[in-house]
Amino acid sequence: MIDAALQRFIELAATLGLHYDFLLSGTEVRSWLAGMGTTLLLVALAIPLSLAAGIAFAAALTSGRPWLALPVRAYVELTRNTPTLVQLMFAFFALNMLLSRALGGAAHNPFTPFFWVVAVTGLHVAAFHAEALRGGIEAVPAPLVEAAQATGFSSLEILRFVTLPLALRTALPALVNNLVNLVKLTTIGSAIAVGEVTYASIMIWTQRDNVLELMIGILLFFGLINLTVSRIGRLVERRLAVPGYGA
Amino acid sequence: MSAAALPARGALRWAWPWLAAACSAILLWWLLDARLTRDLLDWLPYLASGFAMNVLISMLAMTLGTLGGVALGAMELSATRIVRAPAVAYVQVFRNAPHLVLIFATTYIFPFEIIVAGHYLPFPDWLKAVLGLAIPAAAYVAEIARGAIQSVPTTQWDAAKGIGLSRGQTLRWIILPQCLRRALPPWMNLYASITMSTALASLVGVHELLHAATDASTAVRRDDFTIAIYLTVLLAFFLFCYPISRLTRRLERHLARR
Amino acid sequence: MAQDFANRPNLVDLQDVHLSFGEVEVLKGIDLTVAKGDAVSIIGPSGSGKSTILRCINGLAQPQAGRITVAGVRVDTLRSEAERIALRKRIGVVFQQYNLFPHLTVLENITLAPVRILKVPRAEAEGHARDLLARVRLADKVLAYPGELSGGQQQRVAIARALAMRPELVLFDEVTSALDPEMVGEVLAVIRELVREGLTSILVTHEMRFAEEISDTIAFTENGRIVAQAPPAELFYRSDNPRIRQFIGGFQGFRDAVQDREGI
Repeated sequence: MIDAALQRFIELAATLGLHYDFLLSGTEVRSWLAGMGTTLLLVALAIPLSLAAGIAFAAALTSGRPWLALPVRAYVELTRNTPTLVQLMFAFFALNMLLSRALGGAAHNPFTPFFWVVAVTGLHVAAFHAEALRGGIEAVPAPLVEAAQATGFSSLEILRFVTLPLALRTALPALVNNLVNLVKLTTIGSAIAVGEVTYASIMIWTQRDNVLELMIGILLFFGLINLTVSRIGRLVERRLAVPGYGA
Repeated sequence: MSAAALPARGALRWAWPWLAAACSAILLWWLLDARLTRDLLDWLPYLASGFAMNVLISMLAMTLGTLGGVALGAMELSATRIVRAPAVAYVQVFRNAPHLVLIFATTYIFPFEIIVAGHYLPFPDWLKAVLGLAIPAAAYVAEIARGAIQSVPTTQWDAAKGIGLSRGQTLRWIILPQCLRRALPPWMNLYASITMSTALASLVGVHELLHAATDASTAVRRDDFTIAIYLTVLLAFFLFCYPISRLTRRLERHLARR
Repeated sequence: MAQDFANRPNLVDLQDVHLSFGEVEVLKGIDLTVAKGDAVSIIGPSGSGKSTILRCINGLAQPQAGRITVAGVRVDTLRSEAERIALRKRIGVVFQQYNLFPHLTVLENITLAPVRILKVPRAEAEGHARDLLARVRLADKVLAYPGELSGGQQQRVAIARALAMRPELVLFDEVTSALDPEMVGEVLAVIRELVREGLTSILVTHEMRFAEEISDTIAFTENGRIVAQAPPAELFYRSDNPRIRQFIGGFQGFRDAVQDREGI
């Protein structure tokens, strides 16, 4: 049944000049699917990391404590204004190397290339989240914060129960945008041989010279992930919408 | 603006000495470690030629992307579906596409030379990278252009007609200036973002800064040099992009206040 | 509304409180006492420091000099945020702009602080909240969001929110100034009832008639000082201070009342 449909698709694509016969080769399909799986795993780990770190950074930026805000501000500016790929290279070739040496050789270093991709892309996008959330926190009217103070909330409780929930709502479109970028950023994992979908595709097309066919597949795959991310974003936006606040 | 904004904006101002301290720490390190400094200086011209390639790619990609994007943005606003649909589809597909994938695509799909009027013209990889980045840039510019055009209220057209301006004059003197002012900050953001994406071209063998740094690192094969060289690459991009992002934010604030 | 304030302990005691914001001297020696169970209104021209007095009482503003004692706590000597927070839990505040949390329902607005700060069990806090909402006549708005309520309704929710912490003292800061005229009555009715039940409160207000009706004493502020503190009848009708007479006379309706009583 599936085989027949596949056969039909390959024939149809062939009439357009596209050669999808590699889909009949079990090993190549398996490695391609494994690549997609790795990409999904990267995304699934990096998204929560970016959100958690973004919230922490935003809290530091708005804490009013210079010793906390300044280093985070420096990190945010550095991250936003340098290429993620260079950050990854630096993390993998410099930091990872130092770590290996400190731990007594690469064999003792538990940090894999996969880890570095999640960490670098997640923390990179966290800087963008932090800026969006900071804007949202600062947009909360000062009297509202004062009302919470007068009730006896500490500054951390005010952040958790009042300013952050409101900031999440105003920043949500920007956050979703950042997450779409995060999904796309995971492709740089191929630079350090993390077997995500781009890397898996390179492995296939060096054998078969079917770049265009694989490209269409990759673009559809990322289109689908990002469609899902934006859909979920809009769903959350609707769920969180409150009458009389924001747009 | 709330009172809470004050400490954060203060922090931005306070970040300058902090950054200066970090830079001077790196400088000090270079000065103290004479061998490292000498090696870095040896490689500096090579790195500089690499970075010139980044700037060249970013400028060409942005020029092409802007031309294509403005056309696409205008198409998106067309009343005719046949004109609108392809533009909307283009923007949808290429905004969601990873830049790296597009650079791979243009590099491997286009031939290494093209035949124009019987002449074989070389089609180098760096030019393919330009195209690979111009494709998503056009999609982003289309969105910026559409937003800018839509931000000008239609009553402006009526008002201009009211004081006796022709359609062309209205476009030239009333509508376009407002559009440009609105579009400039996001366009500059995009330029910075495309510039940072030029580093991806190293992965298809284009001789740009990151590629040059990798060359240097493998040639020298010393840990301290590897760390220093990648820090230099980060610093180069930072020094190029940070002023742009500062200026963009200034413009945004200026725009928000009016 | 007993007048024997000499026999009851003072819940609030301000002595010679001075406060400046930079160059601007806002409070120039405030003396004010509020006995337990009393309602004290602070009236006076705009910019005379009325709201700042309230902010000093719950530690939102820090005076440069003077003594502030609230329920046995020396507010002016509190140094840590934790101490100020402990104080604020005992003092309710109702603001001019309501300041309800827009992302929370009416019920959540009221239960947030008791549940999160006082660690009251949620069921108990919600029961109390429903009782309070019934008292402010909003029992049917439990699940509404602030954005769905009128100004008067929001202000009554804000009163319920302040009461949910079972405060020993409630500060009302010009609570009707932002309201449309037709909604002022419903809010004042709620406050009147609370005061009758013995709630200790300090009200900054422009509603002269209301202040006269419910207050045990009225303090008149002018230019950073309290120039008089006396029972309403005394302050309104027997004051020989020309500024007070002029200020009160400025409010239409009062002039008539004063003229009626004085038989002019």
